[in-house]
Amino acid sequence: MSFRHLLRAEWTKLRSVNRWLLALAAAAVFTVAFSVLAASGGSTDRQPDVAVGPDGKPVADDFHFVHRALTGDGSIVVRVTDQQNSHPQAMAGVMIKNGVTRGASYASIAVTPAGSVRMMADFRDVEKHAGTAPRWLRLTRTGAHVATYDSTDGSTWREIGAVGLSALPATAEIGMYVSSPGEIRLERSAGSTSVGAESTTGRATFADVRIDGSAASSWTSDDLIQPGRAEKDGPPVGGTAGGAGTFTLTGTGDIGVNEPPDDTVQIGLFGTLAGLLVLVPLGVVFVTSEYRRGMIGTTFAAAPARVPVLAAKAVVMAGVTFTIGLAAALAAFFVTQPILRDHGFTPPMFPTPSLAEPRVLRAVIGAAVFLTLLTLLGLGAGAVMRRGAPAIATVITLTLVPMFVGSVVPAAAARTLMLITPAGGFAMQRAKPATDWLVEPWSMIGPWAGLAVLGTYAVVALTAGGWLMRRRDV
Amino acid sequence: MNTSIEVRDLRKRYGTTTAVDGLSFTVAPGEVTGFVGPNGAGKSTTMRVILGLDAADAGHAHVGGRPYRALRRPLTEVGALLDAEAVHPGRRAKDHLLWMAHSNGIPARRVGAVLEQVGLASVARRRAGGFSLGMRQRLGIAAALLGDPPVLMFDEPVNGLDPEGIVWIRGLLRALAAEGRAILISSHLMGELEGTADHLVVIGRGRLVVDTTVSDLLAAASGGRVEVRTTRRAEAMTVLANAGGTVTLTDNDALTVTDLTGEEIAAALTRAGVPFSQLSPHRATLEEAYMELTRESVEFGVAEVHP
Repeated sequence: MSFRHLLRAEWTKLRSVNRWLLALAAAAVFTVAFSVLAASGGSTDRQPDVAVGPDGKPVADDFHFVHRALTGDGSIVVRVTDQQNSHPQAMAGVMIKNGVTRGASYASIAVTPAGSVRMMADFRDVEKHAGTAPRWLRLTRTGAHVATYDSTDGSTWREIGAVGLSALPATAEIGMYVSSPGEIRLERSAGSTSVGAESTTGRATFADVRIDGSAASSWTSDDLIQPGRAEKDGPPVGGTAGGAGTFTLTGTGDIGVNEPPDDTVQIGLFGTLAGLLVLVPLGVVFVTSEYRRGMIGTTFAAAPARVPVLAAKAVVMAGVTFTIGLAAALAAFFVTQPILRDHGFTPPMFPTPSLAEPRVLRAVIGAAVFLTLLTLLGLGAGAVMRRGAPAIATVITLTLVPMFVGSVVPAAAARTLMLITPAGGFAMQRAKPATDWLVEPWSMIGPWAGLAVLGTYAVVALTAGGWLMRRRDV
Repeated sequence: MNTSIEVRDLRKRYGTTTAVDGLSFTVAPGEVTGFVGPNGAGKSTTMRVILGLDAADAGHAHVGGRPYRALRRPLTEVGALLDAEAVHPGRRAKDHLLWMAHSNGIPARRVGAVLEQVGLASVARRRAGGFSLGMRQRLGIAAALLGDPPVLMFDEPVNGLDPEGIVWIRGLLRALAAEGRAILISSHLMGELEGTADHLVVIGRGRLVVDTTVSDLLAAASGGRVEVRTTRRAEAMTVLANAGGTVTLTDNDALTVTDLTGEEIAAALTRAGVPFSQLSPHRATLEEAYMELTRESVEFGVAEVHP
């Protein structure tokens, strides 16, 4: 008797009970329908006048900038003598930028109170090294090539990094900048998460400022700030003081990728919650129906090696639920994205997701894997308990209760809950990075953590089921 | 006799209850072996251990010289019907047999063949949930025959069958035995095995009561008794008693005589001028033989309680 024979036998069992085929179809329909429902109920008030970076992604680009126009190649050298610790990620440094429009292409090097010398370009980190103020910083432009250096004495320079910026025009703004991100305050209570950001103001002093190359003679001072925020927070607090090569700048805001935590892919796959309510019982009953009617005796008489029998059941069930789950997840994805766009999830804040993006593809496949692993957990629980109702109740409770509890308890408790219960598996359906900013607790752990948690549950349940099957009388 | 069943010193406990207690017997090919005992005697437990479903606490049960769990394609070596209800009600008869066939690499055409053999070909596509108990028994028998095995085991196969079905199954069992198969068939009613079984294994409380052939058992139970019918009972009793017989009155005009042969009885009655209409050796039924066996064990039990 080969494993192939067992697979064929279990597949025949599965396909020959109409009610089970109906359940599989229902699981797919429920998944899509509930996803549509979730998408239709969604809305967003995320700022529409967000800045857009060179790659079309939403970015934050708020800081105080004192600059001169530089035509052609050239460089800037400064000595940051002092930086106030307004926020660990506050920046004080030099930058070359395509004008003062928010979202425009740039390259920069800065020190932070957290103790790093950080080179950025077009809203992403290029290089990071340890270091704090006081410190010399240098930025050199050669054609489209921008290189940055730091030094502790102004004579021995260390290269931090270099990038090519094709979008940088012949004449670009070069100068000093100060930024300081807002302090995030997060409150989670009874099903809602309220997030507030309190702005902070950074201050730094620049000395020995020198620009080489054909630069405009006079300095210009600008505050780059999000229009909506300007109204809320009052006028910009940026400012410049000093002269004769010494400047003190104050600035507020952050520079970097500013993706909202809301994940349209995740919202559009929420219907797996309805699908699992059908698939988990199916996984359980695929085992327990045999015990209920004594058919397990026939099965084990036909195949006395019991662990392979359970393995064959698991493989057949996994293949079927993954196929159904993937079809449902793809359908849900394609059906919900237009609905979500109609409900305000529009570019640039919410770029239209595409299956060609690895993280989107991962989330859609993750939804199928999530359903598959939960069904296998049900199958394992059925093998352990041998009775349908308690096994179904156990798995459904372990999955749904942490979902609800996790959305009302403090963040640390919610994260722990997601890391120790199958509910964490929902994280596999998230395309964006983990975040504490959403009410859905599974958003707090990454997709791989979710896979690890639920995968462990499924493997442990199946192993225990196989061990008990082999050990006990039928 | 590599294809028979061999049970040796088998012991099986469930918690504190001993279901089988040192049982030994064998089932030979070409014979129908009846496995008899009251409900709860340990018949089903023994069969479950033979099939490897329950593990023996001591001793062993081998099929074809090997433990069941060592069989590579068990359905082609042993066919068993333990519980006719053990079918998913939502599954068609043919699909129930089809998954079993697949599990042992048995060609799918055997499904149609065995359904034909048990008379279920016309309902092959119907769901088992709608079957009568008799139809489910036939489906279970079809499942046992699926792998064309040399050893067959049926637990109470007559249960739920109508008279026509009972006649059918007796014929089937005889035919299967005639093909050289070893057949073990359990029953709590000895009468059901009349005319079917060649060999008997009788158990009670998990222990062997008797292991014998049917003909030996019947001969022992008949005990050389002769039945005589006569309208002149009183005279006949006197004559036969004087001739050295032991006579009991069994009916209005019938006597049962022991200690005399038929020939001696005929001579004595003729000599005395007593007419008789019938003179026949008594044939015990299996039921009577079984009653005699169990009566002995009951008496034994009573004697133990009141010495």
